[in-house]
Amino acid sequence: MAGEPLLVASAVTKTYRTGAVAVPALCEVDLEVQPGELVAIMGASGSGKTTLLNCLSGLDEIDSGTVTVQGHDLFAMPDAKRTAHRASAMGFVFQAFNLIPVFSAVENVELPLLLMGRSPREARERAAEMLETVGLGHRVAHRPNELSGGEQQRVTIARALVARPAVVWADEPTGNLDSQMAEQVMDLLCELNEAEGQTIMLVTHDPAIGERARRLVRMRDGRLLDDVRRDPVPAHRPLVTTS
Amino acid sequence: MYPELTVPLLALVGGAGVVLLLIAVRAPVLRRLALRQVARRPSESALVVAGSLLGTAIIVGSLIVGDTLGFSVRQAAYTTLGPVDERVVSSSPALGAQVASRVQSGLSRSAEVDGVLSGVVEQTAALHQKDGRRLAEPRVLAFDVDLGQAARFGGAGVSGLSGPAPGPGRTVVNEAFAKALSLSPGDSIELFLSGTPQTYRVERVVPNEGLAGTGFGSTLNRNVFLPPGTLAGSQTPGTRWVTWVSNRGGTETGSARTAAVAAQVREALGAVDRQVVVSTPKKDVLRQAKVTGDTLGALFLMIGSFSIIAGALLLVNVFVMLAEERKGQLGMLRAAGLKRSRLVGAFTLEGAVYAVLAGALGVVLGIGVGRAVAFVAARIFSSFSTEGNALDVTFAVSRTSLVNGAALGLVISLATVLATSLRISRFNIIAAIRDLEAPRRDKGARRRLVLSTSAAVLLALVSVPVVAASSPLGTFLLPSLAAMCALPLLRRWLGSRRAQSAVFTGILAWTLLVNVVRPDVYASSSMSVFVVLGSLLAFSAVALLSDNQQVLLRPFRRLLERPTPNALAGRLALAYPLAKRFRTGATLIMYSLITLVLVLLIEIGGVMMHGIDDQVGRSTAGYSIRLDFTPGQVVDRVESLYKDQVSAVAPLLTATASATDPGHRSTEPLQALVVGVRRGTTRTMTFELRLPGLATDGAVWDAVATHPDYVVVDPFFGSTGGPGGEFFKPGDTFEVTDPVSGTAETKVIAGVLSNAVMFYSPNAPAAFPLITDVTAVRNQFGPSASVASAFLKARPGVDLAGLSQQLQASYLDAGLVATPMPAAVRRLFEANVAFFRLMEGFLALGLLVGVTGLGVVMVRSVRERRRSIGILRALGFPARTIERSFLMESGFVAVEGASLGSLLGLLTTWLLYQRSATFAGLHSGFPVLWETILVLVVVTVATSLLTTLGPARRAARILPAVATRTAD
Repeated sequence: MAGEPLLVASAVTKTYRTGAVAVPALCEVDLEVQPGELVAIMGASGSGKTTLLNCLSGLDEIDSGTVTVQGHDLFAMPDAKRTAHRASAMGFVFQAFNLIPVFSAVENVELPLLLMGRSPREARERAAEMLETVGLGHRVAHRPNELSGGEQQRVTIARALVARPAVVWADEPTGNLDSQMAEQVMDLLCELNEAEGQTIMLVTHDPAIGERARRLVRMRDGRLLDDVRRDPVPAHRPLVTTS
Repeated sequence: MYPELTVPLLALVGGAGVVLLLIAVRAPVLRRLALRQVARRPSESALVVAGSLLGTAIIVGSLIVGDTLGFSVRQAAYTTLGPVDERVVSSSPALGAQVASRVQSGLSRSAEVDGVLSGVVEQTAALHQKDGRRLAEPRVLAFDVDLGQAARFGGAGVSGLSGPAPGPGRTVVNEAFAKALSLSPGDSIELFLSGTPQTYRVERVVPNEGLAGTGFGSTLNRNVFLPPGTLAGSQTPGTRWVTWVSNRGGTETGSARTAAVAAQVREALGAVDRQVVVSTPKKDVLRQAKVTGDTLGALFLMIGSFSIIAGALLLVNVFVMLAEERKGQLGMLRAAGLKRSRLVGAFTLEGAVYAVLAGALGVVLGIGVGRAVAFVAARIFSSFSTEGNALDVTFAVSRTSLVNGAALGLVISLATVLATSLRISRFNIIAAIRDLEAPRRDKGARRRLVLSTSAAVLLALVSVPVVAASSPLGTFLLPSLAAMCALPLLRRWLGSRRAQSAVFTGILAWTLLVNVVRPDVYASSSMSVFVVLGSLLAFSAVALLSDNQQVLLRPFRRLLERPTPNALAGRLALAYPLAKRFRTGATLIMYSLITLVLVLLIEIGGVMMHGIDDQVGRSTAGYSIRLDFTPGQVVDRVESLYKDQVSAVAPLLTATASATDPGHRSTEPLQALVVGVRRGTTRTMTFELRLPGLATDGAVWDAVATHPDYVVVDPFFGSTGGPGGEFFKPGDTFEVTDPVSGTAETKVIAGVLSNAVMFYSPNAPAAFPLITDVTAVRNQFGPSASVASAFLKARPGVDLAGLSQQLQASYLDAGLVATPMPAAVRRLFEANVAFFRLMEGFLALGLLVGVTGLGVVMVRSVRERRRSIGILRALGFPARTIERSFLMESGFVAVEGASLGSLLGLLTTWLLYQRSATFAGLHSGFPVLWETILVLVVVTVATSLLTTLGPARRAARILPAVATRTAD
């Protein structure tokens, strides 16, 4: 794929320290992601995939290396600027849904828009549309604890996409869902990637999920093991995930 | 204080301790669970303990206040009475000699008595010239006693008198007298014995102990001891022949024999008994000590009870939050087979650890609180007195108070923890494990509905006679409880929000306005009524507010919807308290309850000081100086000699008496001072209550002048402290007895004065004045009554302090004391207001509980919302917005609670002002002290924000990468 990369990570290193014990989580990782890619990062538990996501998105600090998103060096920015950049350029989907429990579905979804300074009316309309898109048009006023796990995750996806971010980071987005729900969520993500060219970085330990991505990055012990681009994507098989 | 409570309290604590110990020993898993939860987060455990210990501290502090004041009054008994248990006073030498001989021989074989002493006492004045200055003391007691006998009276060394009797021209003085006139041995003084100045040289100064400090009241006296025989032939009207009796045993043990010895004294006196006054001063003082200590201790305990309620709410809140936080693990434990009762046991065990730690620390803090209150109280008491004989406050702590305080604090904590544990142990296991909304409990709903409706009907039925009788506690409480019990039924008809709003509006309205239909509900002086009133108001108002927060906040919606960081922080700040109604409600109750009572105290102080000039005018009837002197011709002389400065002098014919309590609060006779006024002299003094048919204040005075059985009284007649109450009303009758002649008459209350401060005599400050016509006094008391006081009206522009000094100097021979009344009334009001300030300070501890409570809630909120904070940060919320949202949340709760409390406090005080006897004589207008209230609200909010600053910063520092992955 040609053109300006959306994300460039060079020699990213991260070590966790607990007292005297140092655990290397990322060792000089290099990665480039083009706009419109759906990248699945796979690896066993403890391989460093979530740390990679956190570091590349600027959620966590790195020890050395650089990460640029849309040409901006994330770790050269002060925290406040990085936060603002995150609000405008990134969306997040987590395994544990992480919705604000005291806000309704639509209030959760409109948050990124309000953060970007959109008018309340526009934010509310856009959020409702987004919920409609993810199939939750009838659940806008419900609070998270009134929604099923799959519905909550769809609200999370709606929230991640509502501000049309450059990249969506999804950390085990189907980890807490049963196979049917997981399939629906993956269908949604793939459709968004294919139809709208949404860049998605997806962390998973599930091979069935990984198989649905055009690009598959494998990790082990904090290093990239291989980076495979597949075009076309292998034929779709039903997902087998554990709830 | 309250030794009778020690055994039951210890039994309760012991019982609870045994049960908890059994749980801990027999169920090691529960023990481990409880102890590890405590140790898991030491800083949070410390916060819980800090919040809980204040309750115990307040209880211990209150009890110590009681100890201190009771001890201080008892100290006065030790100092001024020492060995004197009984006293027989005669007004003539012949009678005095008879009394001395009869009592001496009658008690000589008594096993209950260890001393009898007789002497002559004359009230006189003294003058000392020192360094060119004239130091005068108009109030001196001159004693003519055998000092040798006096030194042995009641046992060696207890009377404070020792050494040989003074020789001719010499005298022995006590320390109080020496201090008043700056005297040292060898100095010369002039004593106005029988009105004639006589010079004496001070031989020695003796300590104010026992007989050396004794007098006719319970306060310290300035005494001078004369050579034997000096007063033997005294003809001065104020001279008294006194026989003192000392009971066997120490100061307090001897007092226990008083009833028996007093009977022996009366028997020994025989027929003479009716012509003399037999009193039991030590027993009276010790009883007064107990009443004073108990009353003030109870007053502080009741004021503190608002803080204790706040402390209990804090514990409830903490445990509810703990349960919510541990929902998953508790669900797992239940799923694994842990019984509900065991879960309650584990929680109670954990709570008991906090409670024991808090109890131990609370006792230490309580001692400090008690000491601080005693220190401030000593300053206030000293400003109550104008004569330098104020109660000397000495800090004292009894073991009983410490044990009772610790035990009561522990019992309240354990009961709260147990009740909360029972409540939180009821949860749906699946919902808890999966973090889902708990399903509605339909099981048993019908049974609960039937039970609650039956309770509502029953309570409503019981309410009818209680409300009809205006029984204060029941009138407030029972209909409110009935309405609460009717809630489940009303929910079915009206829906949850409407039913709750209706019920809580009803309770709020009933509590505020019931006095309109039942005016007597405010007649009680019991503080427990105010505790119930305050609690009901705060609870119902907060419940109503919680149900309608969305409606109240609607005007701010547009503001909060704006896409700015502040608006977003505001949205978050409101979303949590609105969603977590229970914990927000509990915190709001803490704030509003304490603020309500603080505003009540502030406003009462404000009402007292408002229109003080009007108060002075109404309570003094235009008289500017009160004169007290040795009976004689003072009044005529003042009127004629000071014509240019004095426009009128109204003599008062006074007699000491005993009276029954028209309020029927006690069967003990009350010490009274019957004051006879001439018709027309006090016509401008106003009344709080008048006999039906007497339309004006003047009509009451006219009725008193024409009906010898009519009296007017002070609204505080028979009061032993604490808030006033309507214990009697015009038309009530009571008995007044002349202790000398034994003549008893039934008197009718014709009016209750707005303020009777003018009528209190500095010579008998503990005697309640009863004002009647001068003829009525003469008829009942005959020679026992004398003109020893007068009211003086100064001409406009006269310097009252200067005139008072002139009068005292001119009539030193008559022992004249001139008290400028406007200044005295003002000082009295200011001292009362200072006492309210002290109570406000004490109650402010409750505010500390509220603020700590909010702090605990915020600390736990940070932990609870860790994940949400993480995702907000991941979404792009700046750290500052997170910090701001926590501060806004805390500020919102504090502002809402403090404002609600202030509003309720103002309303309650206004209603009390309109209808309660607490404000008797204070109807000069109702000022709203906006500035003070605003300061209270601002300080409350600022303290709350400061407490939240730490948790808010911690929240802002949460790393999104960590928070979004881990639950904790």
